[in-house]
Amino acid sequence: MTSLARPIAASPPQEEQAATQAAGRRKPPWTPRRVLGRALLTLFVLFLIVFIFGPLLWLASWAFVTGWTYPNLLPDGFTLRWWKVVLTDPLLGAAIQNSLTLSPIVVICSGIICLPAAYAFARFQFGGRRGMLIGLFATNAFPKMGLFATIASLFYFLNLMQTMVGILIVQMIGTIVFMTWIPAAAFASVPRSLEEAARDAGAGPIRVFFGVTLRMAMPGILVAVIMSFLASFDEAQGTYLVGAPTYMTMPTQMYSLVLNYPKQVAAVFSILMAIPSVVLMLLVRKQIMGGQLAEGFQIR
Amino acid sequence: MTAEAATGTLPQVKRPHTGRVRGLLMALPPIVFVVVFVGLPIVNAALYSLGHLGGLNSTTALIATHQSRATHWWGTLGAYRDVFSQDRFWRDLTVTVVITLISTGVTLVLATSIALFLRLSGSVISKGLAALSVVPQFIPVVIASWAILTFYSATGLPRTIAAHLGFSFPIWGYTSVAVVIGSIWTSLPFAVLMIASGVQGVPDAVIEAARDSGASLARAVGTVVLPMAFVPIVIAATFTAIGIIGSFTVPYLTGPNAPTMLGVSLTNFFQAYNQPQQSIVMAFVVFIVAALIGAAYVWANFRSSKDVS
Repeated sequence: MTSLARPIAASPPQEEQAATQAAGRRKPPWTPRRVLGRALLTLFVLFLIVFIFGPLLWLASWAFVTGWTYPNLLPDGFTLRWWKVVLTDPLLGAAIQNSLTLSPIVVICSGIICLPAAYAFARFQFGGRRGMLIGLFATNAFPKMGLFATIASLFYFLNLMQTMVGILIVQMIGTIVFMTWIPAAAFASVPRSLEEAARDAGAGPIRVFFGVTLRMAMPGILVAVIMSFLASFDEAQGTYLVGAPTYMTMPTQMYSLVLNYPKQVAAVFSILMAIPSVVLMLLVRKQIMGGQLAEGFQIR
Repeated sequence: MTAEAATGTLPQVKRPHTGRVRGLLMALPPIVFVVVFVGLPIVNAALYSLGHLGGLNSTTALIATHQSRATHWWGTLGAYRDVFSQDRFWRDLTVTVVITLISTGVTLVLATSIALFLRLSGSVISKGLAALSVVPQFIPVVIASWAILTFYSATGLPRTIAAHLGFSFPIWGYTSVAVVIGSIWTSLPFAVLMIASGVQGVPDAVIEAARDSGASLARAVGTVVLPMAFVPIVIAATFTAIGIIGSFTVPYLTGPNAPTMLGVSLTNFFQAYNQPQQSIVMAFVVFIVAALIGAAYVWANFRSSKDVS
């Protein structure tokens, strides 16, 4: 598994100098060209920091202000009352509750139907295996909103519009790819020799599965679970089409929040919504940066 | 370990045909789920767009307006003619394709730069930069869109700073520029992860050999590193393009009312204007373009597996 950062091997300074001198290249002096290169690099880094963090910090600061008159650099005042407004509003509270109950259920249902399939994709050879993997991926290839419009027609017929089951199904669609591809890559990477060694030592097939296979595939499965939870938690488009206005989750509530409530309320709600994402992502950042995510998306 | 274990001829080793049946059965649940809840609606919608208003489409047909009813056994092209004759559809399609191309291009350039910097330098700065570029993965798209809108709006930070410095920064909120910025912002993490992992796979020895033969760094990167990372770059490009072309949240929250991307347009036709048939026609147009992009992804993957094996 390739890790994200693997720099060119560092050697002690003297050896390095000897090596480069032997290769006929010396460490370049501070030419204007090199200074320019450094300057451009610094600009690039600053640009990226502003590009990525700028909007987030700007929005976050709105959660703590009484008001902010343009073009003042500083807000009119600081307050925490918007947090009270959001946390005591019954409509917003319902949305928070819906999101927090629905997403775990979606992940569990998705896991039940997808994890055995992931194991099968990794371990068995059967006709159409590759085609099925691609087909599952293809559901993500289709633009979501168009897909949900077509699903809505079916749901009208089945009376699933504006129901929790309908929302469940729609959110599960977004988790299928994560729950099959990533665990499949994880299961495939468990060395067969370890399992055979365990069997030689006398363990039954179930013990081998739970003690060796599942345990070694756990990091990959964990990444899949968390990516699926976030996919379901942040799912706005399908949930909007199927559930609004009867069942609102946090993301769909955002659509109306930005139109009907003051900016500060939207800012507070945004921070609340970002907390699960940030916390969960921090938990799996090692696996994501370590290549589980990228490796999971190559067909084998 | 016995000799039999080493060669894998233990009786516990599954014989091919039993593994095949069991594997197929275990793999079926998600396939069935996808067929029922994705495949069936798409087929159904195709029929609906051709004017077949009965069966599964009867409920939608009851509430819809401006519908075309099937006149032949295969249906009618009425809905398609209706949509294709509207100027606004072509404007929206053009905007969608242009925004997708620009956003994908810029995302690839940024991601490749960051990945190459990480690979060639390995310094703390490069690692920090790579980690920074993955931050948007942590933030839900709804929040990101709203944050970008307020940041680049008439009262956002660039405008505020510019006002203090005495000049007028353009208002990008509710314009296609904000949509491009938002699309790049949300697509950057995955592109960086894919391209970085691809570029990491190029051995030091190969780069050193190119440099020793006299190639400049730029030449070594362009003719050695990037071609070796070709497949992950294609994967990053196709994922990004497919994600952007059908997007809804970013253009809905940050973009103008018209012309807008097709994802927003088809939602408006479905909900606000109550013309689901036209909405489905637009959805299929987006499907087809996305499928073409997806075909490039499949080709890249099979080409890579051929190289490896």
